Amino acid sequence: MGIVQGDQMILNIGPQHPSTHGVLRLEVRTDGEIVSEIKPHLGYLHRCFEKHSENVTYEQVIPFTDRCDYLASMNSNFGYVVAMEELMEIKVPERVDYIRIIMGELNRIASHLLALGVYGLDIGAFTPFLYMFRDRERILDMFELTCGARLLYNYMWVGGVSHDLPKDFEKICIGFLDYFEPQIKEYNNLLTYNKIFIERTADVGVIPADVAVSYGVTGPNLRGSGVKWDVRKDEPYSIYDRFEFDIPVGEGQFGTLGDCFDRYWVRMLEISQSVKILRQALKDIPDGNVHQALPKKIRPPKGSVYRRTESPRGDLGYYIVSDGTPVPYRVKMRSPAFTALSCLDEVSRGWMISDVIAILGSLDIVLGEIDR
Amino acid sequence: MSKYFANIYDTVNTLWTGMRITWRHMMNIKRDNVTLQYPEERWPRPERNIGFNHDNYNVIRSRLHVDIDECIGCLKCTRACPVDCIKIDTIKAPVRGEDIPNVGHTGETSSGTKKALLVSRFTIDMSECCYCNLCTYPCPEKCIFMVGGPNGSKHPIDYEFSEFDRNNLIYQFAKLITPGQKEALQNPTPEVEA
Amino acid sequence: MTVDFLIDWFAAMGDFPVIAFLLAVIISGIPIFLIMALNAIVAVYVERKVSAFMMDRIGPMGQGPGLHAGKWGLLQTAADAVKLLVKEDTVPETSDKFLFKMAPYIIFIGAFMGMAAVPFSSVLQVADFNVGVFYIIAVGSIGVIGIVMAGWASNNKWSLYGAMRSAAQIISYEIPAGLSIIVPIMMAGTMNLQLLIQSQSGTVWGILPNWIIFNNPFTFIAFFIFFISAVAETNRTPFDIPEAESELVAGWMTEYSGFRWALFFLSEYANMFVVSGLAVAGFLGGWQSPIPGMFDSAGWELFWFMGKLILLIFVMMWFRWTFPRLRVDQLMHVCWKVFIPIAMFNIFGVGIWKLIFG
Repeated sequence: MGIVQGDQMILNIGPQHPSTHGVLRLEVRTDGEIVSEIKPHLGYLHRCFEKHSENVTYEQVIPFTDRCDYLASMNSNFGYVVAMEELMEIKVPERVDYIRIIMGELNRIASHLLALGVYGLDIGAFTPFLYMFRDRERILDMFELTCGARLLYNYMWVGGVSHDLPKDFEKICIGFLDYFEPQIKEYNNLLTYNKIFIERTADVGVIPADVAVSYGVTGPNLRGSGVKWDVRKDEPYSIYDRFEFDIPVGEGQFGTLGDCFDRYWVRMLEISQSVKILRQALKDIPDGNVHQALPKKIRPPKGSVYRRTESPRGDLGYYIVSDGTPVPYRVKMRSPAFTALSCLDEVSRGWMISDVIAILGSLDIVLGEIDR
Repeated sequence: MSKYFANIYDTVNTLWTGMRITWRHMMNIKRDNVTLQYPEERWPRPERNIGFNHDNYNVIRSRLHVDIDECIGCLKCTRACPVDCIKIDTIKAPVRGEDIPNVGHTGETSSGTKKALLVSRFTIDMSECCYCNLCTYPCPEKCIFMVGGPNGSKHPIDYEFSEFDRNNLIYQFAKLITPGQKEALQNPTPEVEA
Repeated sequence: MTVDFLIDWFAAMGDFPVIAFLLAVIISGIPIFLIMALNAIVAVYVERKVSAFMMDRIGPMGQGPGLHAGKWGLLQTAADAVKLLVKEDTVPETSDKFLFKMAPYIIFIGAFMGMAAVPFSSVLQVADFNVGVFYIIAVGSIGVIGIVMAGWASNNKWSLYGAMRSAAQIISYEIPAGLSIIVPIMMAGTMNLQLLIQSQSGTVWGILPNWIIFNNPFTFIAFFIFFISAVAETNRTPFDIPEAESELVAGWMTEYSGFRWALFFLSEYANMFVVSGLAVAGFLGGWQSPIPGMFDSAGWELFWFMGKLILLIFVMMWFRWTFPRLRVDQLMHVCWKVFIPIAMFNIFGVGIWKLIFG
């Protein structure tokens, strides 16, 4: 960071701060309210996920993937098991694919709800946060019904899922979706179209498409910049190619393309798309055994695999190297939130401290995934 | 100029829309309220998670419980545990499948498996447990599951097991075996003649 | 119970004018303090309940008569007050200790002085000045000195940010508030709060009460500008940038705890009370009944005044639990480019209106 000159001062935002979304420390050099440089300090939540994975068996890695992106554990599991199945060349039963997609999309809604609610909180609106948490809670209830856990599921296994869906799950889920869709309108009226909210987010923290691509920003953050890239559509994994859904991209309707509002708005639209996928999946889900393809002992052949999936935060990639033993030789996780955070310095230079909070919130980082 | 006033109108309009929503929620609080008065009211547990013998698999993520009489000491759960919170010591039973009343050991499990080992220590450190449920699947006798309390059998499911002392979270499941008894079991003396 | 009355009363008892004055001031200060404390206790409780109901919660329920899960948490604020009073009073090692300790009192004095001129009814007013409106606006800005002192003395970057933001905000919003309150002064031709309220008796257009807000379109707009500026002056959402929780942790209050913090809290709610009282007196007919000629005995006067005032305080709470917060520059933008031009225009408009119709 160097020597502080003249009127500048260094301000530490975090590690204990209400809106760093975990334990992140931002070393901010400011001139009054204007930010001239940001240096994020990571590692407060480092738990050696990758090294740890080299010492446990393949199935024991799954609980640790839960703890990386703890707001979208299902999607973290999903990425890992898809990669493992590619490595072991397992074909899972159709029901498993459907269950996984239902769980993944439900968790995407839950994660986006939290991201949007907390974003409102960062901007200063308390009430939408509680409304969104209320609805997220219903999704967690469904997860509890399915696998007993509310946050860290360990639900998806290599070659299957741990439990079949409970008896009335389809009915409960459809009931939730029917309840939930009108709520989106209410969120929009309460927060999204609020003029103060638009003023705070539109034109702020613009990530142009080329900057986003060069920093490797993915997911809703990239789509907010107008790049139509979604792994679910462009490199379909599991059975995502069977479903009909759009990829919402930012339009910059209230300001420049790629501003905080676009990233927020893309998430809001993605919730509706997830609802659409869920409705299709719940309609078509076949019967079957969910443990059929479960390997007795997971001992993949020598080799390696890289598979990326679309987590709510972006491209979640797993690179798994196998040396033929039951313990992975190497597990590397490509964390979408990490790359999103990397562009914070470039994006927020010249903005005010309040805007840094807004930009950080709009990137929707999860420190568990960044620090791993 | 018209943009200036359009802006003001837009502001007033959208803010009023938001205020109407919060007003509506305030007026309908009796209907919309989601708070539970926690110690008095509790969120009902989903129907699927109400007991041991429901479906083939146990979908609770609560405390781990072991029916120690069923345990054959195969160590499969310790190997499955990603955080090594299950610790088991075993002693070779003098005679396979025979009861040893003075240490409370039963020779056969309820499914009829004859035990070759005597479990002298079975501890689960619940403060280390990551609630992944992986230990319950490989168990051949289905004697470890995530439900209930530490040492009593078939406790009601609860999620409230905080303790003031960390050591109280280390649950002991094995029947108490004194060092003398252990010695006797490890070096069985031909007591028939005596 | 004006302070003048007490002075006269004590003066009649003997020939000690200084002692009579001091006694009168001290005695009339006690009800002000009681009102402040009561206001804070009630307003905090109401705020909690209002926020909870707006968020689909039920708010505090535990403390109250009947103890656990008793009666709607009625004693929650009392419990909070006890907690704040017995809490450790921390003073940071590197702070400017004298200023740090002084700041809460200065803020408190500002709020306290404002309360003295609030006209609860035609007789219940502690001090009836001939420049009451001016006085309330003037003592209202004493608080900013305390805020800057608190922020500077804390020797904390967040506090300093909060203090600087607060100073900029309060000083800016004094202007539209002042310009808007000129409108009722022009209409009534007096700065005396009692005379101002008395001028609002009767009806306008036959149906509406003759409150200044209903007098003409300019006064209608002026009320809203005054009220929003008043919200900004009391540092409440959407103008709570000095203590923006998600940005500045707690702004200028970050380092305070215990009783000193309680004084800040007391002053914040007292400020809400004072500015709402001024808005009621200036625009909403003060203690005048909304149905002219009915319900206007002394008891009803207090009821009407408090009713209107509570309504305005409720609207402030409603704002707070609905809106996000503005940014510093947007706040200034709203003040200088929207409120001040419109407030200026209002003054001209009212002047012309008075020339033509009045």
